[in-house]
Amino acid sequence: MKKSSLKTIIAALLAAALLCALAAACGGDAASNTDPSATPTPTDSVGKKDEVIIGFPGIPSGFDPLVTAGHGSYVPLLFSTLVALDADVNVIPDLAESYEVSEDALTYTFKLRSDARFTDGEPVKVSDVLFSLQTIMETASEIDLSVIDSVAAGAEGDTVIITLKHPQSTFILTMSGIGIAPEHLYGAGFAQSPVGSGPYKLAQYDVDQQMILEANEGYYGKAPGIRRAVFINMSGEDQQLIAARSGQVDITLTSATIAAVNTIDGYNLLVEKTVDNMGIVMPTIPAGSGTSSLGNPMGNDVTCDVNLRKAIAYAIDRERLCDEALSGYAAPAYSENDGMPWWNPESVIEMDVDYAISLLEAAGWTDTDGDGIRDKDGIKASVPVYYFAGDSARQAVAMSAANQVKENIGVELLVEGMGEGDIMAIMVAQPMILAWGSANPITSYYLYHSSSVGRDDWYNPESFASAAVDGYLEAALGAKTIEDAIPFWQKAQWDGETGTSMRGECPYIFLVNKDHLYFRRDGLNTGDQMIHAHGASWTLVANLKDWIWE
Amino acid sequence: MKKLNRRTAAAIIAAAILAVILAIYIGGALLPAAAIDADFSQKGLPPSPGHIFGTDFLGRDMFVRTIKGLSLSLTVGAVASAISAVIALAVGLTAALGRGIVDHAVNWFIDVFMSVPHTVLIILISVALSRGAAGMLIGVAVTHWVSLARIIRGEVLQIRSAQYIAAARGFGKSRLWIARRHVLPHLLPQFFVGLILLFPHAIMHESGLTFLGFGLPPERPAIGIILAESMRYISSGAIWLAIFPGVSLVILVLLIDKLGSLVRYLLEPREAQM
Repeated sequence: MKKSSLKTIIAALLAAALLCALAAACGGDAASNTDPSATPTPTDSVGKKDEVIIGFPGIPSGFDPLVTAGHGSYVPLLFSTLVALDADVNVIPDLAESYEVSEDALTYTFKLRSDARFTDGEPVKVSDVLFSLQTIMETASEIDLSVIDSVAAGAEGDTVIITLKHPQSTFILTMSGIGIAPEHLYGAGFAQSPVGSGPYKLAQYDVDQQMILEANEGYYGKAPGIRRAVFINMSGEDQQLIAARSGQVDITLTSATIAAVNTIDGYNLLVEKTVDNMGIVMPTIPAGSGTSSLGNPMGNDVTCDVNLRKAIAYAIDRERLCDEALSGYAAPAYSENDGMPWWNPESVIEMDVDYAISLLEAAGWTDTDGDGIRDKDGIKASVPVYYFAGDSARQAVAMSAANQVKENIGVELLVEGMGEGDIMAIMVAQPMILAWGSANPITSYYLYHSSSVGRDDWYNPESFASAAVDGYLEAALGAKTIEDAIPFWQKAQWDGETGTSMRGECPYIFLVNKDHLYFRRDGLNTGDQMIHAHGASWTLVANLKDWIWE
Repeated sequence: MKKLNRRTAAAIIAAAILAVILAIYIGGALLPAAAIDADFSQKGLPPSPGHIFGTDFLGRDMFVRTIKGLSLSLTVGAVASAISAVIALAVGLTAALGRGIVDHAVNWFIDVFMSVPHTVLIILISVALSRGAAGMLIGVAVTHWVSLARIIRGEVLQIRSAQYIAAARGFGKSRLWIARRHVLPHLLPQFFVGLILLFPHAIMHESGLTFLGFGLPPERPAIGIILAESMRYISSGAIWLAIFPGVSLVILVLLIDKLGSLVRYLLEPREAQM
């Protein structure tokens, strides 16, 4: 016994010593930053004016453009797309030097440029484009090209003709995210050693560790200022901070909590505005409304009351939320697409506690037992709000919102963390905090169209269904051009009487658009960035070819 | 004033430790959940008279969280070590009384069990039972009986072969009488001490497992969760988030260990030297 207790004591002392050492090391570091290795030495940045080291969460497990698409992916770095988007979300030429759309918006003719080559030296041919699109259409990937009726080569030999089954206003935006793969190389193993015709080529790739991109010497566009980019896998906030502090990276993601209390010599804080919104999604149907495709029971007897949902939406001071939960590195959010061309500015609401209370009172929610929480017919106005466990930003936003809602209108939101899989099983019956944000308005269609109900993906877990909104969404998606579609997208949000916004049916309580934050080494210019969509990593580097050292 | 003898002193110290442990347990259980609600006006504060352990980045008081966490650890520790001790008793008795092939089989089984590092085993069991509190409790409970089972087996075998047992048999005492009067009184102290000493192990494993993300769910105020969360902010200088809960856990474990030694001393003064 004596021995074992002595052992325990020694172990405890060692543990305590370790903790103290840790405390000393970290305490000193935080207080004064006197550690010599913490200040980047001048040689760090000399002689690499065309190289950048990026602390990057989420090195992908492969690079297959026929499986993954979109602006927020590796596609624009390694592959050509028929068209691209500029910083203001305008469609600009890329692999296609021009394109024409027929009067009925069913036929898209893309004229390919002649100087595009894959990095193995082969020219990019019409057949490669046809092959890529057909492969996507034939395989069940996450890219939805079901609107395409046929793809064919034009008579001139340098055109691709795509015929649609029906007009789709977002089609050209979808095409801006689809990378073209070489037919002669595509096959097993391609995802691990991809060959594209984009501004960069993959020079080295270590799964889960790093990837190194080098400029594609034969690129048809403007030669990138950054010739070599090293992406180091780095997902922890602390890891990212330490990497920047020790000068190991030129740019790295960080969080609002970390950015609020840390400054680093030689680095500036890059704050990118986003449509990366967070909101609480609430089931709009009562419990007992059937089950989802996976058999999960749908509906919630508290949140099915639109007045209660709206009352919550109006009871929240979103500016305060931004300050409290995200140290000011956020902006109030009122929809899934604030500030995008298809956003309806009328979706903005002002905090109005009196209005919120009047909605609740009129709907019969009163505090009968004096516990500070309203109730109605024996049901308490109290629901859980789930967040992905470990996501400190969502946790803080949800908790700050819950505090306000309880204080202002006596509705209780019990914030709880849970794993993604577990949340998926209950999200059709309980509120959760979700994040969206996309450069393509088709997201709104998936989010609110009644055909998305009960499918057990992240779209429409609230089981929202409205004939009026369905009509607007279908009209928007079926419009001939992006411009023609805008009024319908906007009406789907709010048409003066109803809509998906918080003024209308309020299936989502939108809270904040969180800024994307990065520690960036002084002198690194990251160019004009398109408004960031959901996800802070790929959206940052989408325009890597425009970055320069000053 | 008369000098206290060593037994009395030991009893007083044991009682004091027990009181502290009970206070932590009851304190944690009585503190309302609202005491650890987020309060953003108090976020990220270093230790001060108002918040002696400081606050975290949601403005939650770390002292309250720590006490709640330790209280939860004690509950988990109590349940896990009680289950473990009962398993140990059953296995130990089976081995000792079964003799022959049963004894060999049980010993072989214990050897196999001991050859697997039990942290790995706990993680496997916990994951197989879809994590959460139940998975972790069972994981800790079914991996910690081994050494106590050995001790109980050895103890029973030793008692059986003792001369006073043979004498009792000679006097014609029944098996039940011998078990009750001779075997049990010798076995119980071992059992209780073993039970108490399982406690710190169970608590450490609970915290460790939860820290690694295989244990208690993240909304529970467990020490493992607190420590895992704190790691993110240590490099920002918020060391109080890790230090105080961590040291508190170590102190609690040491206290329980000390309590175990004291109880052993009180029950079997000849075997346990203070």
